[in-house]
Parts: sequence; structure tokens; C-alpha cells
Amino acid sequence: MFNYTIRRLLLAVPTLLLISFLIFLLLDLAPSDPTANLPLTIPPEVREKIRISLGLGEAFHIRFLLWCKQFFYNETLNILEQWWGWDFGGDRLRVLSWQTRSPVVDTIVQRIPQTLWVVGMSYVVGILIAVPIGIVSAYKQYSWFDQVGTFVSMVGYSVPTFFTGVLVIVIFSVWLGWFPSIYDTTLVVNDWSSFVQQVKQMIMPVSVLALYNAAQISRFMRASMLDNLNQDYVRTARAKGIRERSVILVHVLRNSLIPVVTVIALGVPQVFGGAIITEQVFKVNGLGQLLIIAIQAGDVPTVQTLTFIFAFLIVFFNLIADVLYGILDPRIRYD
Amino acid sequence: MSETSAAPLVSIEGLKMYFPIHAGLFRRHVGDIKAVDDISLEIFEGETLGLVGESGCGKSTVGRATLRLYDITAGSITIDGTNTSKINQADLRRFRPRMQMIFQDPQGSLNPRMNVADIVGEPLDEHMSLSRDERLARIHELLDAVGLNRSFANRYPHEFSGGQRQRIGIARALALNPKFIVCDEPISALDVSIQAQVVNLLEDLQKKFGLTYLFISHDLSMVHHIADRVAVMYLGKIVELAPRDQLFNSPLHPYTQALLSAVPEPNPARQNTRVHIVLKGDVPSPSDPPAGCNFCTRCPKAIDICHHLEPQTIEIEPGRFAACHLLESATKVA
Amino acid sequence: MKALLLGAAAIMAMASPTLAERGSDGELKIIYWQAPSTMNPYLSGGTKELEAASLVLEPLARYDEGGNMVAWLAEDIPTVGNGGVSADLKTITWKLKEGLLWSDGSKVTADDAVFTWKYCSHPEGGCAQSEKYNDVTNVEALDALTVKVTFGVSKPFPYGPFVGAQAPLLQAAQFADCLGTKAPECTDANFGPIGTGAYKVTEFRPNDVISLAANTHYRDPAKPAFATVTFKGGGDAAAAGRSVLETGEFDYAWNMQLAPEVLAGMQAGGKGETVSAFGTLVERIMINMTNPDPALGDERATAKHPHPFLSDINVRKALSMAIDRDLLVEIGYGDTGKPSCNVLPAPEIYKSTANDGCLVQDVEGAKKLLTEAGWVPGADGIRQKDGVRLSLLFQSSTNAVRQDFQALIKQWWGDIGVETELRNIDASVFFGGDPGSPDTFQKFFADVEMYANNFDGTDPESYMANWECKQAPRPETQWQGNNMPRYCSEDYDALVAEMAKTGDLQERARLAKAMNDKLMQEYIILPLVDRGRVSARSNALGGVVMNAWDSELWNAADWYRVK
Ligand SMILES: Nc1ncnc2c1ncn2[C@@H]1O[C@H](COP(=O)(O)OP(=O)(O)OP(=O)(O)O)[C@@H](O)[C@H]1O
Ligand code: SF4
Ligand SMILES: [Mg+2]
Repeated sequence: MFNYTIRRLLLAVPTLLLISFLIFLLLDLAPSDPTANLPLTIPPEVREKIRISLGLGEAFHIRFLLWCKQFFYNETLNILEQWWGWDFGGDRLRVLSWQTRSPVVDTIVQRIPQTLWVVGMSYVVGILIAVPIGIVSAYKQYSWFDQVGTFVSMVGYSVPTFFTGVLVIVIFSVWLGWFPSIYDTTLVVNDWSSFVQQVKQMIMPVSVLALYNAAQISRFMRASMLDNLNQDYVRTARAKGIRERSVILVHVLRNSLIPVVTVIALGVPQVFGGAIITEQVFKVNGLGQLLIIAIQAGDVPTVQTLTFIFAFLIVFFNLIADVLYGILDPRIRYD
Repeated sequence: MSETSAAPLVSIEGLKMYFPIHAGLFRRHVGDIKAVDDISLEIFEGETLGLVGESGCGKSTVGRATLRLYDITAGSITIDGTNTSKINQADLRRFRPRMQMIFQDPQGSLNPRMNVADIVGEPLDEHMSLSRDERLARIHELLDAVGLNRSFANRYPHEFSGGQRQRIGIARALALNPKFIVCDEPISALDVSIQAQVVNLLEDLQKKFGLTYLFISHDLSMVHHIADRVAVMYLGKIVELAPRDQLFNSPLHPYTQALLSAVPEPNPARQNTRVHIVLKGDVPSPSDPPAGCNFCTRCPKAIDICHHLEPQTIEIEPGRFAACHLLESATKVA
Repeated sequence: MKALLLGAAAIMAMASPTLAERGSDGELKIIYWQAPSTMNPYLSGGTKELEAASLVLEPLARYDEGGNMVAWLAEDIPTVGNGGVSADLKTITWKLKEGLLWSDGSKVTADDAVFTWKYCSHPEGGCAQSEKYNDVTNVEALDALTVKVTFGVSKPFPYGPFVGAQAPLLQAAQFADCLGTKAPECTDANFGPIGTGAYKVTEFRPNDVISLAANTHYRDPAKPAFATVTFKGGGDAAAAGRSVLETGEFDYAWNMQLAPEVLAGMQAGGKGETVSAFGTLVERIMINMTNPDPALGDERATAKHPHPFLSDINVRKALSMAIDRDLLVEIGYGDTGKPSCNVLPAPEIYKSTANDGCLVQDVEGAKKLLTEAGWVPGADGIRQKDGVRLSLLFQSSTNAVRQDFQALIKQWWGDIGVETELRNIDASVFFGGDPGSPDTFQKFFADVEMYANNFDGTDPESYMANWECKQAPRPETQWQGNNMPRYCSEDYDALVAEMAKTGDLQERARLAKAMNDKLMQEYIILPLVDRGRVSARSNALGGVVMNAWDSELWNAADWYRVK
């Protein structure tokens, strides 16, 4: 397993380099202009100057290598400096956003907390709801509980979050006035009342997203449980005279969780990717909103850096999922 | 074969197992799969009753229903003096140690995430309170009994061959000293070369522990080898039940005759004279069996009445039962 | 002397509507559904950045809600009349107010202005507002408070540099190391510029939220009323409107681009109202003075062939009279539009009142006018004269509101006996300017066409020059040019030329109005709707004066909490 993991990690390096190159290429080919959103009153000559000041005058490969250097080398040194207080000296240019002209990585770091709080929490909540629902739905297949669960997850899955989001805002913010409709990213939780405020502003986005996540995962859980419930070993367990609870929770659940756990692991990068729509609806302004705004503004360095980080997370969590599978399922051995 | 005189260990009367069919938007109950439709039989202590029939005729269902792995639709089951047919599943756990089952698929019937020691040891944990050492000792004992190396205890099922897995399944079934074991096609998933080993093992264990088997199989020659008496099933019903030699030498029921005609005959002289009866058509669906005799759609000897009236099971000779209108008249004539 | 000043300040403070002291009104919450990326307007030309920065950075002069220039950091507006602008229109000399302080407590000097010019005109800086400093050859500090700007050419309108939200003053000390290619590396300065405005940045989160606090060195000791400002960004117009008008979480929401009925529904909540301001964007119908008949081949829609009936002013006038502009506004724009009778509707000093008669629909008058001019209804009800039928092709870009307008106008013109065929063209083609396409608004292969246009800033000189004879699109210019009606008048061209060399603001206003009136009274252009910008303000926020000529937050120092 260890060797396997190391081997996979080594293989990931060229993969990620290739991915970063492809992203850069795609962004370069895509017709986007960082000055496109400026008011029409700014004349073309000025736009051209702006473009050149952004480095667009250079050839493609120079820009790519520059990004690689800025991201892989300069940013790494910078992180080391910040974490361990080392000083490598020298004046290193970091990856700068074209919109804000500030280091992209700083903005990303600034936004991780709200994305993790809201999107991550919704993922956790989603899983916590989904697993029991999936278990009961499968165990009581076609019962009213299962029917309701199926209906709810169909709704959660197929109704877009911009609809449910606006719906809950209208109900709970506009009509009832219970929760704020706009997320305050500057809120610092340091006492009971600010904690309550944080909970209040998280409830709506978290539940909307959690419904969506739970819908997906509970379906998975249910299908996996059903798969296993019909297996002979379950009958064996019953024939052994094991308590029904243990049959379900020890035998069936432990086996059904294997694919579900890997699906959950594979879904983690999406958490970091943020929930573009939900973040927009509730003004959470996390990583998803950062990406979409950067795309709209033609902010190549930001888009490139973010997508690369997402690609990294996807590759990484794929590995995690595989390793988890190997740990959880004794039938799988990688070495 | 002196078992006939002994008291029956298992007796089943009028057993029915229907699986409801739901359909439509609201999943209304629209009918039933009559997997087992009114069968009665007895199994005597120490004997092996073979149960044969085509795929889908309800053999496994009989086995599972007998062990009350299902909540049965109707009928009564008495095992070792206890009528188990009405006891609820939770209370039934107490009786589980007496009756066990060996499954057809040695792979699927073992939990892939448990190692051999846990698979075999789990029933011990559930039903006995053994110390760690006692538990281990018992596991080793069981592994020895089924001819598996003790060092395999910490391995997982996927690390074994099919035959070895079936031995694990047998060890597991034996763990609680059962009296009665349902062997549901225990060898059909195995290589021919290994089948004999496992059957021999079962026979040895039967002698050693005085076990009673319900041996389900569609392999007539294997049944011939192991069974003392044989029951033949067709579409949820038992059509013929007789001591082994009588059944194989002079089958009475047209279906049994057809089945046997397909078995390769070791004796070439007899092989030549035998007529190979080919059954036409498909087995009807158990959700919609034909009126009259269940076999009437395919029976080469069917007569008019077969299509209206269901034949009764009658004892043609002592210990020989069959359900066929032709035999009714034969006995009458006789 | 000092006591006197203090006394004056005290009186001023008492005269202010709130009578409050600085910072007594708590938190001001503003939401912009497009989030600002930086606080440095020179690095981003976007409206959202300009407006956010205007809370902190201020120019020497800016525009009030009427589009009039008001001195801001300067003592007064330099003109030729007061000697601030040289007679040759090549220099302008600004005088800073005395005693101005940056928010860090240091003095504002003429050197800051000199530096600001250097900052924006640096060839490698990519300054988004360099247009504002066009033709500037030098900026020098004559003394600590006097700035002289020299132009390479004569500038009748020398109010580009240091005027308006696009060209505020930067603090030289803070940005000294940020010239040219270094500009983007000064993240701290770009996110938290030191300014003279009522507020200063305490935290800037790019594309998310800006936290500001009252500037303790602000020149008016009683202002601002709010202690802090939270400037939230992101989302969409509906959500921003909702947070002000329905939930009351925010005090001010920018740019409510919403359908009239949606906005009305939100306002029904009673928590706030929309505020609008009108700039120069006018939805208008252009009349083709040339003949677009395909039979003319290459000479189609060129000055060689006058239009068979639209060259008759009576017909053009009748078309205008038949239109009910109020109804168009109601249907298409609600609060965000108002009927217009001028193609140059603003700023206030340029706005003519000579044409307001168009506000009233007059179908009978139009019929009478046509009949008197000899256009009488034929057998099919369509008016005609000498075999020429009043039958029009009316084109516009594809857009729901425009198609509603076309349908209504077709009906009204039908009422006066004019037949109309409608056509709509995809906006990307219509406005695309491809000389190969017959469907562009420049080629104008139709009799009338409708679209909206405006001009940047407050000075209409180049806008009014659009209708010079030489601006007509024609094959020789690859069909480029802004004079869609192909209007050609020597008198008009003379007015254009005169404006180009006139420096005096009042005189410039007179000329612009004259040009507007000429176009209106000859019915070359039929203005329909003046389209404004709309924001939302909570009932608890006072002092908002909506402004289409400068930042909407231009007077945020005067905003206060209504109690
Ligand atoms: N749980 C169930 N639900 C519904 N129908 C079932 C169920 N179990 C079995 N059946 C149906 O009952 C009938 C008998 O099935 P059973 O498994 O007893 O047959 P079998 O004789 O063991 O066949 P095989 O030799 O293939 O194992 C089949 O038609 C099957 O589809
Ligand atoms: S009863 Fe009739 S159909 Fe059934 S087996 Fe006998 S002969 Fe055949
Ligand atoms: Mg079976």
C-alpha cells in the first residue's frame, strides 16, 4: 500500500504539470479579454496598454513558464517563509490577479474559511443526513419512508440550488425575517452572540446545499445497501442467528459503506471548488464565486491558479479514495 | 436404511411461500409468485433427503422457508419437536443453533470484510459465551474438522479457492453443533474435481456428528450418491418422493421419468434401450401456474382431466409418494 | 482669526441636516451586486471600483446631480473668465483648498497632484484612466497649493485631469514606489489607498467586502455621520434590491437593473425606495434622409438619393406627433425612464426646453398636418401623394422592450395613415459594424431605425459632432460613421466648428442646445425615452442624492441615519 501510494504520488507530478499546461492552453485559446468588461468609454489604445501591462504582450510559452515559476517556485518559497518564518531574501513576483492586481494565493487563503464553513459544513451535514436515510430507505424498501425519501432526494437533486436558495430567502428572510439574506464574511466569532449570528447566517446556505448533497449521497447509500442486502452473506448472517441490528449495522452497512466512502472522498474537491451558485445566491463569496468572477473578468492568472488547485485536489482525493478502498475492502490489494 | 422407523426430525406440512408482486404507481399488490405451493414432507434424524428439480422450481425457497429465513405464507414446520412456523424472527434466534444452512455460492455467502476466524466465530459470540482462548480453540477445531489449515484463520474469503470457501461455509454452519443442515446446492458452484471432496466431507461430518441433511441439488447423479430419499419438485410442488433406489430405478411420475431420462447412464446396455424424453416448452411462471396439474403444459402423457383437476399426492407404495392422475387410476386399477 | 474659523465651522456643523457629530450614526451598509476588485481607480476602469474608491479618494472637482461641475478639493473651478484657464486654452491652474489633510494626517499638497499625473501617465503602468490625462504635457506645482496643467493642444474643455470619480488624487507618499510596472505590486496601497474622503479603508477583501471607518482627518469635523461603512459585493441585482427594499438588511443598493414590475413589487414592502438619476442615454428613432431602395444598388442609402417622402419635414413631424412617449416609458422602463424630447437631455445646462411639445401625443394634429401637406389617404387608407405611398420599413435590434415599442409605434403610425413594416435584427449583427453585412445600423437599409446611445462624461462636444455632414456612413468610409440619418446642413456643421474652439462653458452650452434644437425641430431624430440609472435606498438612510455624472456615492459624507 505504501509503495503504491508513493508510486501514485510520483505519477501525479507529470500529470499535474500536463494538466496545468492544458488549462493554460485552453485559457489562452478561449476568447477572453481582461479589458472586455471596462466601460465603452475607455478607448482601444488604453485597453492595449492595459493588456501589455498585464503581460499579455509576451509569447505563450514565456507566459506559461512565468506562471509555473511564480506558482510552483515563488509561491512555495513564500508559503515556507510564512509558516516557518524563514527568509529566503530576494524579490519574488507572485501570481498576481488581473482584476485585483494582488496575489491570487492570498485571496484564495482569505476565502477558504467561508467556503469550508459553508460548503464543507453542508457536505458534512449532507452526509450525516444521507447515510441514515439511505440505510432506512433500503431496509424498508418501498415503505412510505422510502417513498418520501425518494421524492425528497429527487427534488433535492433536480431542483437547482438557485431556486431553493431564493425560495428559502424569500420565506425565511423576507417573510419571516429569521435569517439574514446576505452572508457577512467579515463576522468574527468571539462570543456567544456572534456565534449565534454565524449559525443564523449559515443555516440557509448550509441547508440548501446539504439537501442537494444528501440527495445524491442518500441515493448512493440506498443503492449500495440494496446491493448488499440481497447478498447471500446477509442470509448467512441471519441464519447464524445474529441480531437483526447487527446484521444491518455490522454486516450490511460495513460493506455498503465501501463505495459510499469513496464517493464521499471523491466529492471533497467539489467542496473546495465551492458551490458557485449557492455562494452567489447567499453572497458567501467563497472560492466558487472567486472562480466565476475571475472567468467573467477574463482574469487568467486567477482562473489558472484556482483550476490548477482544483485539479490537484481532484487528483489527490482520487488517490485518497483508492487508498481508502484498499483499506476498507480486504479484497483489494495494491502491491 | 433403517431411518424410516425413526421419528422425523423435521416435518413440514402444507408449506406455502408466496412472494407478493407489486406493480403500478402505488405499488399495489397485484398477484403472487407461488414459489412454494403447498408441500409436505418429513426428514428423519440422521438421513439425507435429496431435493431435486429444475432451476426456479422453488428448491432454495423450500430450504430457506424451512429454516424460517422467510416469514412463510402458510403451513407448519416442526423441527426437533418445536413448531417454528409462527415464532417471530427475534425469538427464533434461540433455535438457530439447531438448524443451519450451507449456501450455493461460497463467495457471496461469506462477508468479504470479515476474516475466517470472525466468520466462523461470530455465531459463537452470538450464542455462547466463550473466553478468547476457548473461542479460538473452537475455531481451530472447526477448521480441522473441515480440513482447513489453522493458519488460515486470519485470512479473508477472497484469498481462498472455491472449495476452500465452501469448507469455511461448512465450518461456520457447524460452529453451533446443529442437528439439521440445509445444504443448498453446496457443490454446484465448484469445480467437478472438488465437488467430490466436499460431498465426501459432508458425508464424513454427517457420520461424525449425526447430522440430518436436506440436500438440494439439480445434479441427479450427486443426489443419487448422497441421498437416502429423494423428493422431486416441479413448479413449487413436490411431484414425487421416494427412497433413492426406487426412484432412480422405477420413477413413477412422468416428470421424474423425463428428468431421469436425461441423466447419462453408466451402463451402456441400458443406455441404448432407454428412451430420451425431451420436454417441450418452457416452465410456466410461478406467478401464473396452469389450472389442473402444474406439469400439464409439458407432460407427454397428459390427459384431459389433467387440465382441470389438480392431482392429489398419494402413497403409491409404502414410502413412495407421487401426484399424477395416471397413477391414481393405476392404483385404482390395481 | 482661528476663533473665527472655528466659529464658522461650528455654524456650518449646526447647519447640517443631522446636527450630529462624526460617527454618531453607527454603521452604513452598502451593497453592490458586482464586487469591487481594487480601490485604485487607476488600475481598473470598472464602475464598481470607481464608486467604491470614491468613498476614499476625491478629485479636485466633480459633478453634481445636475451634471454641473463643483469645486471639491479645489477652491473653485478655473475658467477663462476667472483666469484659471489661459486664453489659448492650453493651461489650467487649480488652487487647492487650504488645510486639507490625508487620512493619515499629512498635508495634501500640489505635489500629490503632480504625482497622480505621473502615476497615470507612466507608459508601463497600464493606467485605465489615461484618457483623462490625454494631451497633458506637464503638470507642475507652482506652490504648495497650486497646480498647473499644461496641454500640448488647445483644450476648450480642459476638465479631464483631476475631475470626476475617474481621476481623483492619490497620495504621493503612499504610491511613490508604485510607478509603472511596479503598480500592481503595491497591493496594500491599491487595496487601502490613503485619501481625503469621508471614509478610510480598514479592511479590503477583493471581490467580496470592504470595511471602512470615518476619516478622523476629514475636512468637515461633523462628518461623516456614520462611524463605519460595510461595502458588500456580489450576488445579483434582485438579491441586492431585496436586501434593501424587502429585508432592510442594507441601506443602499446599487444599480437595480430589474423589470419595472419587479422593482414595484419590492418597493411595496415599504422598507425603502428606488432613487434614479438620468444621464444622457436616449432611446431614439433615427430617420433615414436618404433613399434605401435596393434598386439603387451601390448608391442605396447615400446622399445622392434623398428619401422619397421622409425628406418632407411634415411627414417626419407627423411621425413624431403620433407617438405617445409616456406610454412607452410606462411599458418599457417604469421608474428607470422618462419621456424625452431632446437627443441631448442632460446635463442641466445643455438641456433645451424648446421641444417639450412632443410630450403630448397628437394624432389629430398629425393627420391634419399630413392632409395639409398633400398626403391624402388612398383606397387602402394609406396616405399618398403623386404616387408615393407612406409605407415604412422600421428596423431595430432584437430585444423584448424594443419589439414592444415597435409594435406600439406601428399602430400609432397606422392611425395616421402610415404603413409600417417591422424588422428586428440580432444585436450582435445590428451593432456589429461589419461592412459586409446589409443589416447594420450604420448601413441603415431601412426608412427608420431605433436604438439607444449616449456619451461619456458631461461634455457633449464630440457627441453633437456626430451629425456633421462628413460623419455620414457611406461606401467611401466602409460604412463607418455616426451620422445615421445622413443629415447634412452647413449651419449645423458651422455650429460644430464653433464649439470646437469655444472655451466658455455658458457659450458652449448655448451652442450645444442650438444643435440639439436644430436636430429636433427638423425632426431628424425622434427621441423617445431618457433612460436612467436606478439604485435603492432604505427609508432609514438620509442624504442620498442620486447622480448620473459622477460616483453615486459622491456625497456619501452627507449621508445620515434617519431616526
Ligand atoms: N425473495 C424473492 N422474491 C420474489 N421472488 C422470489 C424470491 N426468491 C425466489 N423467488 C422466485 O421464486 C421462484 C423459486 O425460486 P428458488 O430460488 O426457490 O428456485 P430454485 O429452485 O432454488 O432455483 P435454482 O436452481 O436456480 O437455485 C423463482 O421464480 C424465483 O424467481
Ligand atoms: S397429472 Fe397429468 S399432466 Fe400431471 S403429470 Fe400426471 S399425466 Fe402428466
Ligand atoms: Mg436455488
